[in-house]
Amino acid sequence: MISRPIVAGPAAGLLLGDPEAGFWAGALLEVLSLHQLPVGASRYWDTGPAAVAATAAFVPGGGSVALLVAVGFGVIVGWLGSWSVHATRYLSARLVALEAPGTVTPASLTARHLAAMASDLLRAAALTFLAVWAFPRLAAGLADVPRLGDAVAAIILLVSASLMLGVDVRTIAWGGRVWAAFGAGAALSAILALCLR
Amino acid sequence: MLALSPLVRLRILLRSLAIQGSWNYQTMQGAGIGFALIPVLARLHRRDPASLAESLKRHTRFYNGHPYLATVAIAAVARMESEQAQAEEIERFKSAIVSPLGSIGDRLVWARWRPLCSLLGLTLFLAGAPWWVASAAFLALYNAVHLALRVWGLHLGWREGRDVGRALMGSPLRRLPDRLTIPLAAVAGALLPLLALGLGGPSGAGSLSVIGIALVLAVVGAWRPAVAGRLAVLVPLVGSLVVMALGSSIG
Repeated sequence: MISRPIVAGPAAGLLLGDPEAGFWAGALLEVLSLHQLPVGASRYWDTGPAAVAATAAFVPGGGSVALLVAVGFGVIVGWLGSWSVHATRYLSARLVALEAPGTVTPASLTARHLAAMASDLLRAAALTFLAVWAFPRLAAGLADVPRLGDAVAAIILLVSASLMLGVDVRTIAWGGRVWAAFGAGAALSAILALCLR
Repeated sequence: MLALSPLVRLRILLRSLAIQGSWNYQTMQGAGIGFALIPVLARLHRRDPASLAESLKRHTRFYNGHPYLATVAIAAVARMESEQAQAEEIERFKSAIVSPLGSIGDRLVWARWRPLCSLLGLTLFLAGAPWWVASAAFLALYNAVHLALRVWGLHLGWREGRDVGRALMGSPLRRLPDRLTIPLAAVAGALLPLLALGLGGPSGAGSLSVIGIALVLAVVGAWRPAVAGRLAVLVPLVGSLVVMALGSSIG
């Protein structure tokens, strides 16, 4: 679970000198990916590389515009990760194809299983490296974008996160009791936050 | 019957952590199950390499349950193997147990426990806890249940053997997801105002408006999840691409 954005983001941020920024990038990716359940043969974002890439994109700039760009970039990396996982699953099938003639031994099974794990590790490392390498080249001159856009970027992120939190709750369940609990949680939290602000 | 020593149990448990390592579209977790069973099968068939190879081949066939509850199936199969059950009976058992284990685990872990731990971590951070407390709380809470499930599954599977399905029917795991629904919804609700204010909401009367807007958007998201889900991803994606294009043109 270190690949979850709320762990991978601050961990990457720690390496880059700003773990809080990493947590913010990870937090938004976490909300956006929370409803994706890894059940059966489903495909879902590869959130680990996505969070690291988003953090690497956010830390140098700071501010809502940089956070928006970081989240958007993280989504792209997450999608690319999903496709790369899909390809790796085919590679793993070839690596552990044990129905072929020949004797299966504990050593051969272990070697094939570990080779599949190593291929996934290499895939994730390559994706993360490429993303972190590519971002400054794709977004050259980003620091010069006028800061006036910070309010707009914050609104975009708020709309996105709020909509997705609703989707997340709907994924959990649907019914009066669920909405009563959601409303009660929101009311209590809002009162405390506004009073303590 | 072979006694499952603490060392063998530990080896199975550690191997079960890597059960998804070779997940693929053909056998799914099959090779992972075989990999986790090696400590038992190697002992049972240590004088007969041909029977060991045949057994390993059988146990690397298709299997796809929940990874954390795989220890239930692994330990039950280990017990059946040690009791020299027929290969066909073991295959029938694996086919029968995979769906309940998948269903219970998916509902409990993926749909409830993981989101609950994530939302708690996020809420802690936005409520003012240091980032490391929030991340550590998520990891500690999540993995406490994760590891407990694996250890519990190992004990249950070995104790019950082929009757483990009956034991699962009476276990509290089946009812636990429903009990987590309300706390999960409450924590999601608690996160929303903090997220809205944390994303740069104004102070004073404006704060209440921002929270209200966020609440309305969340209700819209729940009301039309398919459209809202796509919109929630596309909006920051398009926004960030516009900003990046703008940045590139300036650079």
